[in-house]
Amino acid sequence: MNNDKIKISTRNLNVYYGAKQALFNINLDLMEKKVTALIGPSGCGKSTFIRCLNRMNDVIDICKVDGSIKVDGSEINEKNVDVNKIRERIGMVFQKPNPFPKSIYDNIAYGPRIHGLAESQNVLDEIVENSLKKAALWEEVKDRLNQPGTSLSGGQQQRLCIARAISINPEVILMDEPCSALDPIATAKIEELIDELKKSYTIVIVTHSMSQAARVSQNTGFFHLGKLMEFNLTEKIFKNPDNKMTQDYITGRFG
Amino acid sequence: MNNIQKEALLKKRYNAEKRFKLYGILSIFLAISFLFILIFNIFSKGSSAFLKTEILLNVNFDQKKLGLNNNSSEKEIREASFDEILKDALLALAPSAPELKQAELIDIVSIDAELEIKKFFLNNRDVLNKSYEVSLTLSDDLDQVYKGNFPRDIPEDRRRFSDFQLKIYDELISKNKIVSKLNWSFLTNADSREPELAGVASSLVGSFFTLFVCLLLSFPLGILAAIYLEEFAPKNKITEIIEVNVNNLAAVPSIVFGLLGLGVFLNYFYLPRSTPLVGGMVLALMTLPRIIIPCRAALKAVPPSIREGALALGASKVQTVMHNVVPLAMPGTLSGTIIGLSQALGETAPLLLIGMVAFINVVPSTPLDPSAVLPVQVYLWSESAERGFVEKTSATIIILIFFLIIMNSFAIYLRNKFEKKWS
Repeated sequence: MNNDKIKISTRNLNVYYGAKQALFNINLDLMEKKVTALIGPSGCGKSTFIRCLNRMNDVIDICKVDGSIKVDGSEINEKNVDVNKIRERIGMVFQKPNPFPKSIYDNIAYGPRIHGLAESQNVLDEIVENSLKKAALWEEVKDRLNQPGTSLSGGQQQRLCIARAISINPEVILMDEPCSALDPIATAKIEELIDELKKSYTIVIVTHSMSQAARVSQNTGFFHLGKLMEFNLTEKIFKNPDNKMTQDYITGRFG
Repeated sequence: MNNIQKEALLKKRYNAEKRFKLYGILSIFLAISFLFILIFNIFSKGSSAFLKTEILLNVNFDQKKLGLNNNSSEKEIREASFDEILKDALLALAPSAPELKQAELIDIVSIDAELEIKKFFLNNRDVLNKSYEVSLTLSDDLDQVYKGNFPRDIPEDRRRFSDFQLKIYDELISKNKIVSKLNWSFLTNADSREPELAGVASSLVGSFFTLFVCLLLSFPLGILAAIYLEEFAPKNKITEIIEVNVNNLAAVPSIVFGLLGLGVFLNYFYLPRSTPLVGGMVLALMTLPRIIIPCRAALKAVPPSIREGALALGASKVQTVMHNVVPLAMPGTLSGTIIGLSQALGETAPLLLIGMVAFINVVPSTPLDPSAVLPVQVYLWSESAERGFVEKTSATIIILIFFLIIMNSFAIYLRNKFEKKWS
C-alpha cells in the first residue's frame, strides 16, 4: 500500500456464534492515523470484526474469537490480556447514540474518572472542555453542561459519544455505523469531525453508505458473507476494484 | 359481496365496537361504585372515632379530702387519690339519688376520669380548695349515644346504660355540659380495654418498627440478589431454577411465612415473641421476591447500549452496572419496593402466628418490645363486643388506608420524576 505504520493487524481471524461461523480467516492491516472504512451488505460481519478489535465480543457468551489480533505488534486476543486496558486504548462509538443517564459533563468525565486520568477538578474540567472541543460540540453545550446528555438532539448525542470516546485519549476509535441514526446535516458534521480526528487517531468506520466511505476513508475493506473480499486504497476500490463482487456492490447491483 | 351486504357488515362492526365500549364503561363503573361503597362505609362508621365526648364537671378540690397542701411535691400529688372528689362531684349531679343508683352515676365517666383530674390539678395547682369545671371523658356507652351510634329507644334491659343514667345525661345536655372534642388521644393512647380510651399509638409505632426492620432486611438483599441474577449470573439451569422459584416465592400464601417465622425465628433461634423484630423478619421474607421481581424487570428494561457504552470505555463489569445501569433501574426498583412494603404494612396473617396479636397497652419503644401492628389492631378490635370498638375499627382502617395512599403516591411520584429526567 504505502509506507504507513500498521496500527492493528489481524491474522487468520475466525469468529463463531455458537456453531455458526461469522468471520472466515480475516487478514487485515489497519494503518495508523488513517480512516479505514468497512463496507458490505448487512450481516456480512463488518460489525463483528470491529467488535473483535476492542474485545467487545467477550460480552456475548456464545461468541468465540480465534486467531491473532495485534495492536502495535502485541497480541490482544488472549485470555490473560486485560480487556479494560485494551478498551482504554481502543475506544468505540456505536450505531445508536448511547449517552449515559448523567449530565453532559459527567458523560465526558466518566472515562477519565474511572481510569484515574485527572488528579484535580481543574484537570478534569480541562479534559471535558478539550474533548467537547475536539468533537465540535463545545460551542453548543458549554452553557448547559449540567443538563442530562439525553436532552441533546440525535446528532449532538452522537458527537457527545465521540467526545466521550476521546476523553480517555485512546489510540484507535472504532465507529460502528455512527451516522445510521442521523439526518444528513448531522451526518455531514460527523464526517467533518472524522476528517479532523484522523490527525490524532486511527479510525475504523463501519458504514452502509458508499458515498460516506468514499468521502471519509483512505482505505476500504469490502466484506461479504463473513469474508474479506477486497482491501485496498479507497480510491482504488471505488474506481477500479479488483474483485467483480466489489464492483457489483458499490455500483448497487446487490446488497 | 354487494354493496348492501358490505353496508350491513360495516354496521355490525360498528355495533360490536359500541358494545365493547359499553362493557368497558360498565365494568369500570361497577369497580368504582364498589370502591365508593367501601370507602363511604368505612368513613361513615369510622369518622366519629376522631371525636370524643366529654362532660364538664364541677369538681371541688378539697384540701382535706385530697390530703394535699400548697407545698405538696409532684410525687405526693401523683400518689394522692382523687377518687373521692370525683365521686363527690358526680354525686352532686343528682344529690337526692338513692344509694343504689350512686354506682350508676359514677359510671357516667370513663375509668380514667380520676387520672384526668389529677393531670388537670398538676397543671393548675392554684385550684386547691376551689371549685373548678373540669372536662372529663364520658363513658363509652354514653359517648356512643351522643354520637348517635346507639339507639336509645330500646328496652332498658337490652342496653348497657340505665334509664337513670340517660336522665342525668339528658339534663347535662340541656345544661350544655356535654361537649365534643377532637380525639387526640386516639392517636396518642395505646390499646385499652375501655373503648373510649383505646388508641392506635402502640400499633402505629409497632407498624413503623416492623416496616423499618422489613425494609432494612429486604431492600439490600433484594437489590443485590436482583443485580447479581440479572447482570452477573451465568445463564444456565441453576439460575433458571432460582428464577422460577423467586417467582413461586412471590405467590406463596403469606401465612406460610408466618409458620416459617414461628418455626425458625421463635422456636429455633428463640427470638423474642410478638416483637416488630421478628414481624419485620417474617415480612422481609415475604417482601423479598416482591422487590427482586420489579428490580430485575427494571434492570432488564435498561437498554443494552448503555452497558456497551460503559464497557467500551474500559469500565469494569461492576462499574458498568453500578454507575450506569442501576441508576436507570432505580425508579422502577424503588416504586416496586414501596408497593412491596405497602403490602407488608397491610399484612395480618403471618403476624398472628408469631404472636403479634397480643393485647399491648404500652407504646413500644424499641423493635424488641412486644407490640401490635395496624391491621392486627383492626382484627383485634373487630372482635370486641363493645360498640365503641366498631368505630375504632373503621377509624384504624382509615389510618391504614391513609398510609397506604401516601406510600403508593410516593411510588408513583418517584416513577414519574425519574422517568421524566432520563428519557
